[in-house]
Amino acid sequence: MRSLGRYLLIRTLLTIPMIFVLVTLVFIILRVMPGDPVKSSIRPGAPQEYINEIRHTLGLDKPLYVQYGDYLWDLLHLDLGTTLSPVRGQSVAKQIWEHFPATLELALAGMLVTAIVGVGLGAYAAHHRRSLADYSLRLYAIVIYAIPVFWLGLMFQLVFGVWLKIFPVAGRISSLAVAPKHITGLYTVDSLLTGNWAAFKDSMMHLALPALTLGLYLSGVFVRLTRSNMLQVLKMDFVTAARARGIPERTVVYRHALKNALIPIITMMGLQFALLLAGAVLTESTFSWPGLGRFLVERITYRDFPSIQGAVVVFALLVASVSLLVDILYALIDPRIRY
Amino acid sequence: MSKTKKPREEPTSVLGRLLRGAYWYGAEWYWTVTGGILLVLIIAITILAPVLSPYDPTVTVGGPFERPGGGQVVLLAPKGSGITGLQKGLKVATFYNTTASIVAEKMHLTVRHYQVDKDLFAKVRAGEADAVLISARKAAEALKKNPDFVQVGKPFGPRFILGTDNLGRDILSRLIWGARAVLAVAILSALFSAAVGVPLGLLSGFFGGWFDRVLSLIMDSIYSFPGLILAIAVAAVLGTGVVNIAIAISVVYIPTYFRMTRSQVLSIKEELYVEAARALGAKRHEILGMYIFPNVISTLVVVFSLNVADAILTEAGLAFLGLGLQPPTPDWGFDLNKGKAYLPRGYWWPITFPGLMITLVALGFSLLGEGLGELLNPRLTEE
Repeated sequence: MRSLGRYLLIRTLLTIPMIFVLVTLVFIILRVMPGDPVKSSIRPGAPQEYINEIRHTLGLDKPLYVQYGDYLWDLLHLDLGTTLSPVRGQSVAKQIWEHFPATLELALAGMLVTAIVGVGLGAYAAHHRRSLADYSLRLYAIVIYAIPVFWLGLMFQLVFGVWLKIFPVAGRISSLAVAPKHITGLYTVDSLLTGNWAAFKDSMMHLALPALTLGLYLSGVFVRLTRSNMLQVLKMDFVTAARARGIPERTVVYRHALKNALIPIITMMGLQFALLLAGAVLTESTFSWPGLGRFLVERITYRDFPSIQGAVVVFALLVASVSLLVDILYALIDPRIRY
Repeated sequence: MSKTKKPREEPTSVLGRLLRGAYWYGAEWYWTVTGGILLVLIIAITILAPVLSPYDPTVTVGGPFERPGGGQVVLLAPKGSGITGLQKGLKVATFYNTTASIVAEKMHLTVRHYQVDKDLFAKVRAGEADAVLISARKAAEALKKNPDFVQVGKPFGPRFILGTDNLGRDILSRLIWGARAVLAVAILSALFSAAVGVPLGLLSGFFGGWFDRVLSLIMDSIYSFPGLILAIAVAAVLGTGVVNIAIAISVVYIPTYFRMTRSQVLSIKEELYVEAARALGAKRHEILGMYIFPNVISTLVVVFSLNVADAILTEAGLAFLGLGLQPPTPDWGFDLNKGKAYLPRGYWWPITFPGLMITLVALGFSLLGEGLGELLNPRLTEE
């Protein structure tokens, strides 16, 4: 029985142990590992009663297995606890939900830049194999990966923001007054949906540099992937057949071959999602982009333990669900992928 | 489209292949060599840091944001004042918190400090000081405005080749000393990852079974997790310090070693010579240690080199987010973190050079790793 339904079911079930392991990993890092989250979260010299009280509210005074049980139980109910600082008692889940659209918008825009730049250049390199362009692009792939993404962002800020004054260097929008009505939370999409052109232009200008930074950072990996996939596809019989039929070389390479090389690239996009998220955290900090990554880093400086745990768990869930999503997409495209 | 190559004798050792040169291996050869040269330079800088660095990287040696190449000061005295040099008891007028004021204080001159918007020359004319001590860069313009002053002697004082940061520390010295911190953390973390990942991979691949399955699931999960975020979480709990940061980063890359070693073991253990060793009565640990492990080492070198490059970038990322080494240890990522705030005012040098260094070091390890990988596995060069 090899059916799509069966595949989807098994693949979804297989995500559960992965989520379980990831969530457990977060627990081990934050609670079991040496180092006290509360002690490091409180200014030295705080009274012992205060420390005890916080330990009690977080449940850190219970035995580890009880803590672990509570932790899993709360996660099952999507309860991420409440914040400690800067303001005490706010819902962590709600705060993460408010920061999520910004990260999503940046990630999608970055992915778009990567897809265009990476796949385009990779295909070009494969087409002109062993030419100067090919070697330069392979070198580009290595060099761009070695450039710290936040430094790339700083350099863009310097050149396009400070010197040329084309783009703003921080934030998602000039002021909240111009922000479009909240529909999806993605400013660019919302402003388009509401026909708010001023907001659209403004949010696009703010998005340009962060998206370019994140997109270029990832593009190296995709140049390599597209190139090697294309080289394999270009050796296949159908390409030779297409050439023999007299179809122009350009059409053969960029229509016939590229289309077939794209399938494994989609899977790789899923695997590179983790890299994208890591890059997003740094890009957000560089451009003061109010997303999840900046939320996490900001809460670390406030030493807000529940928020740190919540954000890391959400990142884990994101990775697991994207990898599931990509595999499903892959199965839909390629009928050979079945259990 | 591929041209058929004449079969030639393949040199078997990596060194042999490397010596075969660019003719045979093309671009990969240049990459390996470039990477190697970069690394030799970096290691030389690390070792020679006390000799190479012109100043103490943690101490204020000049005014804040001295431009690259700047730092030198000149003495401007009124015409006919008879001042011929920096004689004892000379009262000089300088701007507050500039290289000039710091130099004057270090030379134990009597110093009068003024705010930047004040006219130093007017103060000298009014008799509040004998001469003006000012940045050499501004001297020509100042003399044009104040023709009643002349330059006394040559420019002197420190010279900051790459400028100074917001605290007046020499950026070049910070770059040189920063190489130590970054390399120490990166190499230490790569060693930690290898020390955990390789043995686990060996055992997992060799014995298989439920142990292998559980371990693989755990490792694959860690592998799928965004490395930097994992390192952030660990660093947030462990706190700062070279060893703690190295541990935080090493957690991220354990799966890389595990997966590589495991897959190598899986293919090597089917080889004929392992079968032969087993038939001859070799014990399990002998097979693992003497027949399988040595064949993993060559791939291990490549992974290690690429891993150090990744670790450098992760360390820089952590430091940029404020989770790196504790100041005053010079750290490139941390310098970028500090310099970022001054970027909108156009101070480009405090952020340009540390980033460039991170890139160069990461690039060195990447190129070496990539190049060695291609030399070790010549089939890949055909792609």
